[in-house]
Amino acid sequence: MSAHDPHVGPRPAPSWGVRRFTPSWRWLTEAMWWVEHAFGRAHANARPEEDTRVRIFVILSVFSFVFTCLTLGAIHAALLTAGAGSGAQTHPNAVVRADMVDRNGALLATNIVHYGLYIDPAQVWDRRAAAAQIRRALPRVSRTRLQNALYGDRRLLVVNRLTPREKVAIHNLALGGVSFEPEDVRVHPLGESARHVVGSVDTGGVGLSAAERAFNDEIRAAGARGESFQISIDLRVQGVLENELAAAAEATQAKGAVGIITDVQTGEVLGMASWPASNSRNLATAATYEMGSVFKTFTVAAAIDTGRADMNTLLDASEALQIGSRRITDFHAQNKVMTLEEVYLHSSNIGTSRLSTEMGPRVMRDYFERFGMMSRAPFEIPSESPIVPNEWSDSTLASLSFGYGISITPMQMAAAMGALTNGGRFIPLTLRKGGRPDIRGRQIVSPETSLTMLDLMRRNVVRGSGGRAEAPGLRVGGKTGSANKSVNGRYSTAHAVGTFAGVFPADGPVNARRYQILVLIDEPQTYPRTGGFVAAPAVGRIADRIAGFVGVARRADPYRTALGDRIPAFEDLEGDGR
Amino acid sequence: MNTAVATLNRLFAWKIRGIRWVEIIGVLLVGAMVFSGYVAKAAAARESARISDLERQISDNGQRVRLLRAEVARLEQPNRLEALSRGAGLGPVDVHRQATVGNLPGLAPIPEPRPVVIAPTPAAPGETPAVEVER
Repeated sequence: MSAHDPHVGPRPAPSWGVRRFTPSWRWLTEAMWWVEHAFGRAHANARPEEDTRVRIFVILSVFSFVFTCLTLGAIHAALLTAGAGSGAQTHPNAVVRADMVDRNGALLATNIVHYGLYIDPAQVWDRRAAAAQIRRALPRVSRTRLQNALYGDRRLLVVNRLTPREKVAIHNLALGGVSFEPEDVRVHPLGESARHVVGSVDTGGVGLSAAERAFNDEIRAAGARGESFQISIDLRVQGVLENELAAAAEATQAKGAVGIITDVQTGEVLGMASWPASNSRNLATAATYEMGSVFKTFTVAAAIDTGRADMNTLLDASEALQIGSRRITDFHAQNKVMTLEEVYLHSSNIGTSRLSTEMGPRVMRDYFERFGMMSRAPFEIPSESPIVPNEWSDSTLASLSFGYGISITPMQMAAAMGALTNGGRFIPLTLRKGGRPDIRGRQIVSPETSLTMLDLMRRNVVRGSGGRAEAPGLRVGGKTGSANKSVNGRYSTAHAVGTFAGVFPADGPVNARRYQILVLIDEPQTYPRTGGFVAAPAVGRIADRIAGFVGVARRADPYRTALGDRIPAFEDLEGDGR
Repeated sequence: MNTAVATLNRLFAWKIRGIRWVEIIGVLLVGAMVFSGYVAKAAAARESARISDLERQISDNGQRVRLLRAEVARLEQPNRLEALSRGAGLGPVDVHRQATVGNLPGLAPIPEPRPVVIAPTPAAPGETPAVEVER
């Protein structure tokens, strides 16, 4: 550009008045031209030194502006932006899956970093010595895999899931070519304890069974937050249940056994055990049983709730009941007319059969549905479907009344007993601590019926077939159940199931804290095989041992002192009622 | 208006050793900004490194705690504890031998406190005894 630039002459310098009202792009163009022609103007004004200085100034201004913006942006990003400079955005204790803990925080499952052992044969100096040392430090390593890795042509995995201790042992050998890669492994430190409740996880960290599967998403989310995930189990209660169940099963040489302890007011499962623990099948949810006389509880409850019977109702059990060609008899025959209480306490098949046939199929079916007997238990761990009758004849009704003709899971029985003893509200059982917030109890029998049944169950332990379930001062109530199993289409007396469904404390208002204990012994080999002998004692011992954990104090009731001594029944000797 | 523009031009044209003062100030400002930007970023990087180090330590400690908790849980397995207890001859306490804190006085009454008798020390002749014994 020079003073003789042909563009200089005709283009006037933009004036402020014009610039203010012109469009921005045009103002910018004119400003550029103004700078461009500064040299010409400077020469025209006889001030040639101004030209370069103006240019330098403008460029300096532009750069200063841009750099100021960048600097302010950098300072803002470094100091003022939320989360800036705080290192990793994830929680420092984040894990793939959260620790699973019981209701008191005791550990049930956790993630521990294990290590994979790799060997690069190219870096091993003395392969024979290395093999010997590694096998000495880690006896469980496969000889074949070790040889393949040491004499191979590339880096290979020898063994995975090394514990930190095993890793240190190998590391201390200071062998060349040996390296470790961390692996996040789910560990269940309790071994077989609570294994049917906790469940398992695959190598990718996805829950496969039980609580690990049921709460998979929530456990992973809690793990990302570095928190633990609590379930309703009380490890102390679970431990007592497992030990007593195993003792009962071994004492009776049983094939299997199931135990469930629940809080009847919230539906929380405090303990759930399936024996033998080594069997991966959880009998509490995956097996169905005809449970026998425990069902008399529901038959009697239905009769009381519908107003068809009360405690003084008389039922004729003086002789066998004939329904068509079928003859129904009592196991402990009394051969007399009995009150409803006596029917329950003597576990009279004849008495409950009369009740069920009088109520009819519609009422019986309705109540069985209310108690959740007719459909799969709504529980986080998938359960087996019950086997229910197709036709509801009088003979079927009689069978149902004393627990034959219908096979249910122990979970269904525990839920039904809970509903009957908590004021009549059916609350689905849950492994979620505090119960399921999304479900409100469904009223299935009246609170009065519930109270009556609680009293009846307590009397059954005091005076009836459940005497061996008594625990001093804990006011245990319950009902025994004994049934023969169907083998090849015929009921076999050699294959039995003994059950006791108990509750404690059975006294107090309907909304009192109360716990249900179900023990089922499958195919006991000792005699007698009835629930009162094989299952009831275990329930009594369990109640006795867990009472302190769940906060149930020993107290007297109208039948027993707090130490379990018998209180003589009131006898009106004077005849004046005092 | 013209006076103001002329003053501005004069101010703009003011030079120190041949260099306009506005340019000197501009360079100084840019220098200050470069320095402050460096200081801020360096401080942030230092803090970030420290936070990362702390987070790594927390994570390592968390792993160690998790490992120890797993070991404790393994040692406190109900089956193991029960077997050890039975082996040591321990078992559930019979109900007749159980008592609450409230029952303890009934089981073993708290002994009455004995009256404290302080023997009078032989006083020097003419000296008043320091302790008066209650009779």
